[in-house]
Amino acid sequence: MSGPYTGIKVIDTTGLTGAYATRLFAGLGAEVVRLEPPEGSSLRRLAPFVETLEPPENSLWWNYLAMGTRSVVIDPGDSASLAQVVSQADVIFEDQLPENAMFPDEAVNPATIRTRILPFGLTGPKRGWQSSNLIAWAASGILYTTGFTDRAPVAPAAPVQLICHAAGASALAGTLLALRSKRLTGNAQNIEVSMQEAALAIAPETGVPMLLDDRVHRQRTGNRRDLGRPFGLYPCKDGFVSLIVLMPRHWLAMAQWVAETTGNESITEAVFEDNAVRIEAKDLIDEWVEELTTQGTRLELFEEGQRRGIPITPVNTIDALVDDPHLKAAGYWSSTELQDGTEVTVPGAPFRTNAQWWSTSRAPLLGEHTGLYLT
Amino acid sequence: MTQAEEQLPLSGIRVFELGIAIASPFCGRLMAHFGADVLKIESRTSPDVVRLLGSAWLRDREDLASIAGDTSPYVSEMNASKRSVGLELKTEQGRATAMTLIAECDVFLANFGARALADLGFDYEAVKAVNPEIVYVQLPGFGSNPEMPYYPFVAWGPNQAPLVGMDDFTGHSDDPPAGIATVAPPDYMSALHAAIATLTGLEQRDLTGKGVHVDISQFETTLALLGPFVMDYDLTGTVYSRMGNRSMWGAPQGVYPCAGDERWIAISASDEDDWDTLRELVGDAIDSKFDDPSLRLAQQDELDEQLATWTVNFQVEDLAHRLQKHGIAAHTVSTNEDLLHDTHVISRNWYQVAPSKRLGRDVFSGSAVKLDGTSGTWSHAGPSMGQHTREVLRELAGLSDVQIDELVETAAAFEPVDPETVTTRPWDDWIHMFLPGVEDARDL
Repeated sequence: MSGPYTGIKVIDTTGLTGAYATRLFAGLGAEVVRLEPPEGSSLRRLAPFVETLEPPENSLWWNYLAMGTRSVVIDPGDSASLAQVVSQADVIFEDQLPENAMFPDEAVNPATIRTRILPFGLTGPKRGWQSSNLIAWAASGILYTTGFTDRAPVAPAAPVQLICHAAGASALAGTLLALRSKRLTGNAQNIEVSMQEAALAIAPETGVPMLLDDRVHRQRTGNRRDLGRPFGLYPCKDGFVSLIVLMPRHWLAMAQWVAETTGNESITEAVFEDNAVRIEAKDLIDEWVEELTTQGTRLELFEEGQRRGIPITPVNTIDALVDDPHLKAAGYWSSTELQDGTEVTVPGAPFRTNAQWWSTSRAPLLGEHTGLYLT
Repeated sequence: MTQAEEQLPLSGIRVFELGIAIASPFCGRLMAHFGADVLKIESRTSPDVVRLLGSAWLRDREDLASIAGDTSPYVSEMNASKRSVGLELKTEQGRATAMTLIAECDVFLANFGARALADLGFDYEAVKAVNPEIVYVQLPGFGSNPEMPYYPFVAWGPNQAPLVGMDDFTGHSDDPPAGIATVAPPDYMSALHAAIATLTGLEQRDLTGKGVHVDISQFETTLALLGPFVMDYDLTGTVYSRMGNRSMWGAPQGVYPCAGDERWIAISASDEDDWDTLRELVGDAIDSKFDDPSLRLAQQDELDEQLATWTVNFQVEDLAHRLQKHGIAAHTVSTNEDLLHDTHVISRNWYQVAPSKRLGRDVFSGSAVKLDGTSGTWSHAGPSMGQHTREVLRELAGLSDVQIDELVETAAAFEPVDPETVTTRPWDDWIHMFLPGVEDARDL
């Protein structure tokens, strides 16, 4: 069987903020049309590019996020064609305020669900403000708390564009709720996701309820945190590993590992079993732990530490992930085809099911499906 | 049930949740907000970590020590509108009672480790045996296949981010990785995928009568966000890494100092129109050579330095308003105190207030998913541990009070500690910030 949303017709007029949502929707069976102007979607202009291809088919963001969708090109001035395509839609994804929409409300069937992903939402004093992944992180409280104290604060994993994808995934969850509601009651409704709120939702650590509880002004502390020791990133032979040792059993295993590997018996003294003592003596603890971590590679330390039941993970880079033994064994990686026929590795289905839900195909060429939709 | 609740998209749907920390609970709270009856199954012998966190102001209050588990702000952040059912699944009676509840549920949601879940007797096959149509959604760190190398590994939120490459992507390019331990995107992204999978599963069940097993390996799910970087590595061997706050798509973009101590502004002015506008505002504070977009990208250190000499003359809020008035994406790098006074956030009622059995009322984050027809409800803040044990066991397991007393006496189930102990948070007077016009939310 194919995905449960087979037969649902979706139009996507967004750029980066809606693309992850419609990628998932298409993978779950929906018929997703990316409505593009003649010069192509803004997603097609995002680097990195494939050197051997020409625009508008060379963006890797497009070639990944538009997988499974169709491309229909309509000139923004061609309202008759826009109306013809738009009137068929069960769902429309948009990233503009209503007054800036690509088509007038009259063109949209009242039974259509409209899903809007907006910088700061439909209401409020910042309604008309612009945003980006960086701006949304700044407005969440988290950016301020990330980074080293002697440098400007930094957004978490900035190149990944996490807030765009969090907003997109939230928008899809809302859309599926609205589709269910429509199936049960016959009533269509609209969905709104503010990028700032998508960021706030994943940032309760710097949220108001936490502040009102402890009255602590949160600030950045580099790549270690004073909640425990060892806690944070530690150097090793080929990069860094992450250690989060809070629980008593994790510390006992950690101290034992350091003692066995470096001959340091002092670390096993009972006094250090108290996390508060370890935080007090954090420089000493960090030095002892580094004597261990600098002797191994990321993968060696990960496997041996985990064997000992310690929460340790490698600070992975893309090359290590593509070569990761677990992902290989699990058959995670998939592939897609570029315009010139080149096969390229991509992440596989985002989750696994015992029913056949997920299916996808290469990203469409600009206007590849126009003829199917315009007569 | 009120009229409005009947019409919520998930009214009539019941969820059995074995959740800890964030990944499963954040999904469950979204479902509860949109009308599902979410049963949060809790243990006193191995409690959810949000029960262990307690509250900062309670640390020296020995008189309130027994209720500390009900007071962490994360209890409401992750579990508002759920019902808490105290059942010890390591006891035979506790497990049997849980199975009678599962038979009455539509969705099974869990982020226990895959091995722990199987050892407890709640893997898919066991659950399906009592409820063949169940939508079973689990979120283990590394998937539920015991044959896979990392299956037994210890995975929890802050440790997944480095594993999937997010810590290496965080920081300035010439610094060591800064890491992102203050926030746990893999938990939240997995939770959003779980919500999407659950709704898809309900669609399948309603249309075909068939249940489903969804296995969300947080490792795999979060990696699905890194597609373009995986592709470029495969094509050219390029390994992307951290680049501060910069954009691959244009410059300037970054975080710049403003007047005052530790005041910063984030600016994204990466396309050509933005530059023309910014040029008019900054005047000759930036060298005219940067009117060439390729130089802006190629010489970002110098561009950023010059822009910083301009931004530092302004109060951060004034500058953010000024830039946005001219259409340039900018925002104060907000501190947690700034959010308390953020008029936009307050005007959108982002922070919600709802009744709490233990605290009178509590404040917590709203939902980023907003529907204009069925806008969702927050019936109550985070529940006390075991607050709903008796009502749920009566209602859904059909047990008598005597039978429930027996379960409690044999420690197979539990009810709230000292139910008559009620307190208020010290910041209770701040409530007016979130409920304009309401003097005392206990009137709710």
